[in-house]
Amino acid sequence: MNAPAALPADAFFLGHGGARRFCLYHPPAGSCRGAVLYVHPFAEEMNRSRRMAALQARALAAAGFGVLQIDLLGCGDSAGDFGDARWELWQQDLAAGADWLRRRHDGPFVLWGLRLGALLALDYARQARHPVDAVLLWQPVLKGAQHLTQFLRLRLAGALLAEGDNSVHGGTQGLRAALEAGQALEIAGYELAPQLAAALETLALETLAPACPVDWLETVSSPGQDAAPGAARAAAAWQAAGIDVRLHTVQCAPFWATSEITENPAWLAASSAALQERLHEH
Amino acid sequence: MYLDETKTILIDVLSLGENGRHLDADSPLLGALPELDSMAVIGLIAALEEHFDIAIDDDDISASTFASLGSLADFVAAKRAA
Repeated sequence: MNAPAALPADAFFLGHGGARRFCLYHPPAGSCRGAVLYVHPFAEEMNRSRRMAALQARALAAAGFGVLQIDLLGCGDSAGDFGDARWELWQQDLAAGADWLRRRHDGPFVLWGLRLGALLALDYARQARHPVDAVLLWQPVLKGAQHLTQFLRLRLAGALLAEGDNSVHGGTQGLRAALEAGQALEIAGYELAPQLAAALETLALETLAPACPVDWLETVSSPGQDAAPGAARAAAAWQAAGIDVRLHTVQCAPFWATSEITENPAWLAASSAALQERLHEH
Repeated sequence: MYLDETKTILIDVLSLGENGRHLDADSPLLGALPELDSMAVIGLIAALEEHFDIAIDDDDISASTFASLGSLADFVAAKRAA
């Protein structure tokens, strides 16, 4: 791959007032090969992965894709509070972003999602107005309930480590009970609405198989290692169901979770190559 | 057998870099690694759950699990066997 050309990204707000969504558009270098809509991950994972998402958007733009990064309702620089976020409203944001891209590009349309963003992209693809030609998944969350548990634990961080103190707050089960009773929770600076938690609770990647081809990137901790068992099983289940899914593994730190900003050129190159190859066949 | 993979995940998640390479089974973690605060522990648990395809309950999470790299790897091994 050639070094990405330094193309300036356009920052703008899509929509008005409470519907204002912050967007970064990376115009394609040369003739356009397709449009890509990026779907960011949940809460703190969005901040930690910002650098890798920006680098990938630039690399894809240099390879001839028009890439739109949209901050969902209550996230990043968009309007609204995180506590107002709902799964359905985030899907509407994706629809608005997709419409914007489709007005500019009539080539192949690709959804690219990281972690929970991958599940949001897959769920959106099932009822998208515009056909989705390919999906790029970055380390997708497999089960929304497990992702929710991991998020809820942030509120219990101190208590869980204090020996014998695990029942003080009723643990993650106690927090779930509060959500089910309709209470919003403040977790690591994010207000989590019970409606959003309920939506996460039922999400499962296996039930969200798209009609289009899938390129799926998973991190491994040493070269040549197999993907984590859960991901490998889910991808195999899709393959058995006739979905054209390619699982790519790259030695890479989990950049959406690392304490310091992580950059991994091999991961970026693998993503660009997978997408280019996929659309070349298209 | 889970020691090396657990060590790699610990180094990656806490961004320990070169300093992490010297860790062995006896290396103390909680209270010894400044990077491993309570929030980092939660992030590490999530990474271990996903990498090893294990489910960790609230009751499993205690300071003794994170006492040393060896105790953490043993915990992963026990969860994998469960």
